[in-house]
Amino acid sequence: MITCDLLVIGGGPAGISAAVAAGKAGLKVLLLEERERLGGQLTKQTHRFFGSVAERAGTRGIAIIKDLETVVAQLENVEISLSTTALGIYEDGVSTALKSGKMIKIKPKAIVVATGAFEKFLPFENNDLPGVYGAGAVQTLMNIYGVLPARRILMIGSGNIGLIVSYQLVQAGAEVVGVIEASPKIGGYLVHASKIRRLGIPIYPSCTIKKAFGQDRVVGAELVRLDEKWKEIPGSQFTVDCDAICLAVGLNPLIDLLGQSGCQFKYIPELGGQVPIRDESMRTNVPHLYIAGDLSSIEEATAALLEGELAGLSAAKQIRPGQSLEARMEEVKTHLRALRSGPVGEKIRSGLSKLTGEALPTPSPRTNAIDELSRTGIASPANLAGVLPDEKRKKTRAYAVIECYQQIPCDPCVHNCPFGAIKPFSDINDLPIVDFDLCTGCGQCIGRCPGLAIFTVDETRDGDRAKITLPYEFLPKPVREETVDLLDRSGKCVGQGVVKSVLNTPKQDKTTIVTVEIHRNLVQDVRQIRVVQKS
Amino acid sequence: MNDDKTIVCRCEDIDIETIRKLIDQGVTSLEEIKRITRCGMGPCQGKTCGPVIAREIAMKTGQPMEEILSPRSRPPFGGVLFQEVLEGIDDEE
Repeated sequence: MITCDLLVIGGGPAGISAAVAAGKAGLKVLLLEERERLGGQLTKQTHRFFGSVAERAGTRGIAIIKDLETVVAQLENVEISLSTTALGIYEDGVSTALKSGKMIKIKPKAIVVATGAFEKFLPFENNDLPGVYGAGAVQTLMNIYGVLPARRILMIGSGNIGLIVSYQLVQAGAEVVGVIEASPKIGGYLVHASKIRRLGIPIYPSCTIKKAFGQDRVVGAELVRLDEKWKEIPGSQFTVDCDAICLAVGLNPLIDLLGQSGCQFKYIPELGGQVPIRDESMRTNVPHLYIAGDLSSIEEATAALLEGELAGLSAAKQIRPGQSLEARMEEVKTHLRALRSGPVGEKIRSGLSKLTGEALPTPSPRTNAIDELSRTGIASPANLAGVLPDEKRKKTRAYAVIECYQQIPCDPCVHNCPFGAIKPFSDINDLPIVDFDLCTGCGQCIGRCPGLAIFTVDETRDGDRAKITLPYEFLPKPVREETVDLLDRSGKCVGQGVVKSVLNTPKQDKTTIVTVEIHRNLVQDVRQIRVVQKS
Repeated sequence: MNDDKTIVCRCEDIDIETIRKLIDQGVTSLEEIKRITRCGMGPCQGKTCGPVIAREIAMKTGQPMEEILSPRSRPPFGGVLFQEVLEGIDDEE
């Protein structure tokens, strides 16, 4: 029988964060991870994270996990057991796990369960054909093993996972034939949607999959449009050719272990389905049992990190009373509230209020109307007009165009302007506002924006030439004086331009900053370049 | 939709037609459907099919999802060989 103060089940962001917090508070911690390395979903997240700079926003998930691994490895009182599957949590406080062909028994004083989530499945005809993948599997194959799962992929679901995986598939050299979404509007962050739209990937809202075609493997799919009541519109079927169908239709909390423990649950669709009942300090109804991360509610990794810390601190407070942990606990709760405070956090807030029975906090101001942007992922001229300087200013100096039109919890741009030209936020969900008197168009902000939504424009010269600077995350990288295709917000080629500078040092961390000379008339249309493949 | 080609339970290869027929016959709990079809008794232990079947039951009977889904589960999580259990006992002695 192994004894410890705290047993943490799950070595993803929530579990590691809990182990670190409890370890720093002096607890003897045992951290179990089923896979051969720590990190959970973070090990596949090659994109930059949103959120607050204080919680490593602007950093790629794969870099965050490297930092976390270093921190946890330095704590001598935290033991990490990899390739270890937790099997059971019993009433007498004993837990069992499978390690190296042996069932081990552990008797901890408290447990943090951070087992994450499980992908939802979708019923449609031929959904068992080879080529039907979950988005998690596609990401694992691509980003961990370097295996391209298919050439032409249809993505089902436009939440952040569907949008991000679509982008990553293009980075890996695949073609995404479309992203379909049952709801009338795009589910994920609109900056992610805009990123894939300008690569030419269509997004079909109010659309679902009827069937997959193929005998031994997927060769295509039949799709159908939905009306405002989510009913199929007769005769609206259409087909696409593809060799894989990737399901990104949401996650369910992985509650199996907790279900053994006597923990109580509530069905709250906003949080992902059956979720454990817990208090604001991540404590369940079972004494000494805490939870964190996607298991408690389906959210982003930043929330998992914070919840993990909170659970670790709660456990430490209970096991080793007398330490002054409350101040940090309150701070973490404040960060979590801020993260969930904006319009995109409304679903989570409503779910949490069902969980705790608390009244909903005052809803943030927002419009319910489905505008063009949230249906298409393409900014309208009206959107754009709101972020441009006046005509006189355009001529005097280069300037930044921040195409961030949706309130999401994210603030790296504010902290990365060397001239303080992006006005400080009062709330992490604020939209960035550029002070064009201070902006020099230097472009420092471009590579720091997790949404790749910042561009700089230089139209100060006379004549018909102007320059645009944009982020570029594909291979091959363009080179100076190379002629590249210019793509607009829908991925349409609108002309060609000549590359004038390519910034690709370790500081850019693979988000290359490319400046292209283009026709003046195109500066507000071009948002992507395409390197012309040499034959 | 060809219901017999729409798979609900990948582990045990159960299609949605089988499930819908059972619900129409009055078999309206996950537990009963599991015992008749083996749905949810494969390696994933109902994590894939559970919510899909629950939704089918909810649509046909009007029962709330909360009442259909049962969060009860018993150890062990996943399959364990007797040998692995015995190896653990040896360790303690």
